[in-house]
Amino acid sequence: MPFEALDFYDVDSLLTDEERMVRDMVRDFVDNEVLPKIEHACRDGVFPDEWRVTLGEMGVLGAPLKGYGCPGLSYAAYGVICRELERGDSGLRSFASVQGSLAMYPIWDFGSEEQKNHYLPKMASGEWIGCFGLTEPDYGSNPGDMITRAEDMGDHYLLNGAKMWITNGSIAKVAVVWAKLDGVIRGFIVEDEDEGFSAPEMKGKHSLKASVTSELVFQDCKIPKDRILPGVKGLRGPFSCLNNARYGISWGAIGAAQACFDSAKEYSLSRIQFDHPIASYQLVQNKLSWMLREITKAQLLAYHLSQKKDAGDWIPEHISLAKMNNVDIALEIARVARDIHGANGILDEYPVMRHMANLESVKTYEGTHDIHNLILGRYITGIQSFTRDLS
Amino acid sequence: MTIAVLLKQVPDTTAKIAVSGGRVDQSSVAKWSTSPYDEYALEYALQLKEAGGGDLVAITCGPARSSKMLTDAAAVGVDSMLHVVADTSEMDSTQIQSILAAAIKHCGAEIILCGKQAADTNSGSTGPGVASLLGASCVGMVSEVGIEGDGFIAQRGISSGDERVVVSKPCLFTFDKGLTELRRPNVKGIMMAKKKVIESVSAGDLGVDLGESGVKINSHAPPPEKPPGQKFEGAESVPTVVAKLREEANVI
Amino acid sequence: MDITIIAESNGNELHPVTSQLVGAASTLGGTVTVLCPGGIGEKEASEISGVAKVVSLKGDCFSSFDSGAWSHVMTPHCGDGIVMGSSSPSGRELAAQIASKMGVPVVQDLTGIDNGLMMTRSIYSGKAVETSNASGSCVITLRQNAFEAASLGGSAEVVTVDSSSEVSVAVKEAIAKAGERLDVSEADIIISGGRGMGDPANFSHLNEVADIIGAAVGASRAAVDSWDEIPHSMQVGQTGKTVNPSLYIAVGISGAIQHLAGMRSSKYIVAINKDPDAPIFGVADYGIVATWEEALPSLRDELANL
Repeated sequence: MPFEALDFYDVDSLLTDEERMVRDMVRDFVDNEVLPKIEHACRDGVFPDEWRVTLGEMGVLGAPLKGYGCPGLSYAAYGVICRELERGDSGLRSFASVQGSLAMYPIWDFGSEEQKNHYLPKMASGEWIGCFGLTEPDYGSNPGDMITRAEDMGDHYLLNGAKMWITNGSIAKVAVVWAKLDGVIRGFIVEDEDEGFSAPEMKGKHSLKASVTSELVFQDCKIPKDRILPGVKGLRGPFSCLNNARYGISWGAIGAAQACFDSAKEYSLSRIQFDHPIASYQLVQNKLSWMLREITKAQLLAYHLSQKKDAGDWIPEHISLAKMNNVDIALEIARVARDIHGANGILDEYPVMRHMANLESVKTYEGTHDIHNLILGRYITGIQSFTRDLS
Repeated sequence: MTIAVLLKQVPDTTAKIAVSGGRVDQSSVAKWSTSPYDEYALEYALQLKEAGGGDLVAITCGPARSSKMLTDAAAVGVDSMLHVVADTSEMDSTQIQSILAAAIKHCGAEIILCGKQAADTNSGSTGPGVASLLGASCVGMVSEVGIEGDGFIAQRGISSGDERVVVSKPCLFTFDKGLTELRRPNVKGIMMAKKKVIESVSAGDLGVDLGESGVKINSHAPPPEKPPGQKFEGAESVPTVVAKLREEANVI
Repeated sequence: MDITIIAESNGNELHPVTSQLVGAASTLGGTVTVLCPGGIGEKEASEISGVAKVVSLKGDCFSSFDSGAWSHVMTPHCGDGIVMGSSSPSGRELAAQIASKMGVPVVQDLTGIDNGLMMTRSIYSGKAVETSNASGSCVITLRQNAFEAASLGGSAEVVTVDSSSEVSVAVKEAIAKAGERLDVSEADIIISGGRGMGDPANFSHLNEVADIIGAAVGASRAAVDSWDEIPHSMQVGQTGKTVNPSLYIAVGISGAIQHLAGMRSSKYIVAINKDPDAPIFGVADYGIVATWEEALPSLRDELANL
């Protein structure tokens, strides 16, 4: 049965025909190929490789990028893709976010012509998986103080350091790694077979279990000279990528929230207690109506932001607000949905606890909830509060 | 070679059907889709085109909303689309078949694929009736079709099992559930579909004089209410239940 | 009014639905002629009470099904009034071809018809019912088991006509029905077992019943989780398949909310469970309080005798 997403204000009617066709295509993929397999993928802790193949065949990877075999869709379409994928699972959406916004985007925006021609077509088709190395074990919200270093050895660069919490790391052919060269942050393209590079998988996650998370380790890793991204220096590089990924997350979170709402609605209508469906009780209706309210607001926010992105009329703070708000309400909706499901909510028969656990990661990655608050605080007051001197 | 696939837009099989003023209330249908058996016909039409070349045209006769279905067909690889804009809801089989036969002639197609029946009327008259009007061979209940020599080989279901039959053009295949589901479009196909223009005509444009419908629909009504659940004690009640399944429920 | 009935055959015999067609025709009044394609069942047809004449059509084209060739031979023998056939797939195909050649409308799969020619049929897969009237001649097909059969005791004259037409659909090979079991998501009838079956080997009793009525065999999650022999592909429910067949038979399934979520939209539900308080009885149209050991053999025999 095709999924009927909650769309109280008919926000999807604002999309173009083409964007709705893309939506239906991805929705069909999630219904028929993701949902039947997701719980097993989570139990086994794997990202099913056939999903990579199908994402490539559908042509949705690197959605808003133009040329070099990339789809060339609108940001609205990219948002819709993220929403539909995350309705399946945040891990699946993470795969697409990392591939498109964090690995393909920097090559597309800051790469040389040769780099674009070499990497982008194979990444758009899903043949090569990409990952993005910025966060380090000791530098999460504060990437500017990263330790990973690159050294110019004349005919090659030498990379030393380690990255952590890297989605797709162990399955990636291509890693876009940010490291300091003479004290300045630069982007390097590292390939899986490069000498001195390894990507051990991180195990034991209670969240994003159907997604691969890894460390990237560089021990005198030799990189050819033509693998530096020539077009950017400093934190602007990684931050441009993150802006796009965060934008996608602001849509993706809605998909997870819609899935939780849908499950809670169906469950409450069929679960009988005290001789009546629990949906007939005011406390449950209050919860459902709150979910509907927050999802509707999140949809309007994401849609408006998509129009600003497509018009090129946006600032990073707009994205911070959307990422922060939509993930926040999605997580809360998942928790309330779990509550409505009672004990059944902890079972993998229902998607709610999986989404809840996933969204805990989504709240933290790509700029924590609190960091986005600080970004907005700085915007409002003009005073940055990230750093201070407590000596 | 020109291949035509006949498509009909129907309420999605999961959609609720409401009756208002003695007719199924079309305005209350939440979601319209391509009739499921027509989707199998479309998939095999694409396969025939890939195997043997030629042009594939998707034809529908229906109201304005049906054009969305033709665009969806273009996204999976249909070359051209013909939309005969008409409200078919009160037409009889003769009228619908004469429109579609004229549309097929208009496109010059000699190989025609369609579903065995539409999910709204549940009739199964259109395919064989159109074949008769066109003087085309008719193969019903097909699950698979391919090219063989100058003709086609199809697997069809008959009461005693399945058989493979051989036909040559002009021919028409009506599809039961096929062995392969309709392919999913991709972004490239969706972008291409946007550029394809749907040829939109009326029955009159095709030279069809519809005349009067020979069948007047009296009314549509919701199905009779199911009787409340009945519970029986002991295995000796099995014959009673089987009799009820046959006579009350009419499901075996 | 002339009523022409197209006899339905079942291999080399007359299909019982033919008597039902005659029974329906009798309620309309008029002279009933039965056409027997290929001559199959001509004698049996002549013995159905209410039949005035049997036309036995003999010709090479009747050795395999080709609705174009068959209708070409049969149409000249169809009278002006009502032409009536069975709504089997081949019956519908033939009816549509004959109607087209006669230039009259066809109305398929009637579940009722009265002597004012008010026709009743199910539309939107049973979600609505349509009634309509034909203003003149028409071809109709009737749903099997929806009409009373006419009794035996007739003695109509049998007229044999030798006539053939060019066959354009050539049978290359017959394929035996695959022994593979239907998938639950495709089946119109499903019989499912739960942990109440006691042992996965006991699913063979479900298979026996399924074979008789062409059903798929499903299972509850409890059964799938308990026994490796029962694959996940059989699971009906929240994390299994969502099904909506015409008939769902739940055997030894208590009816956990997760199972009900996958099957409650079935048109008719039969529950067999030894516990009279099992929640499955809350959604069942027909509940049988009995052990499967007692109920399944009886169910198998009853269905086999249909």
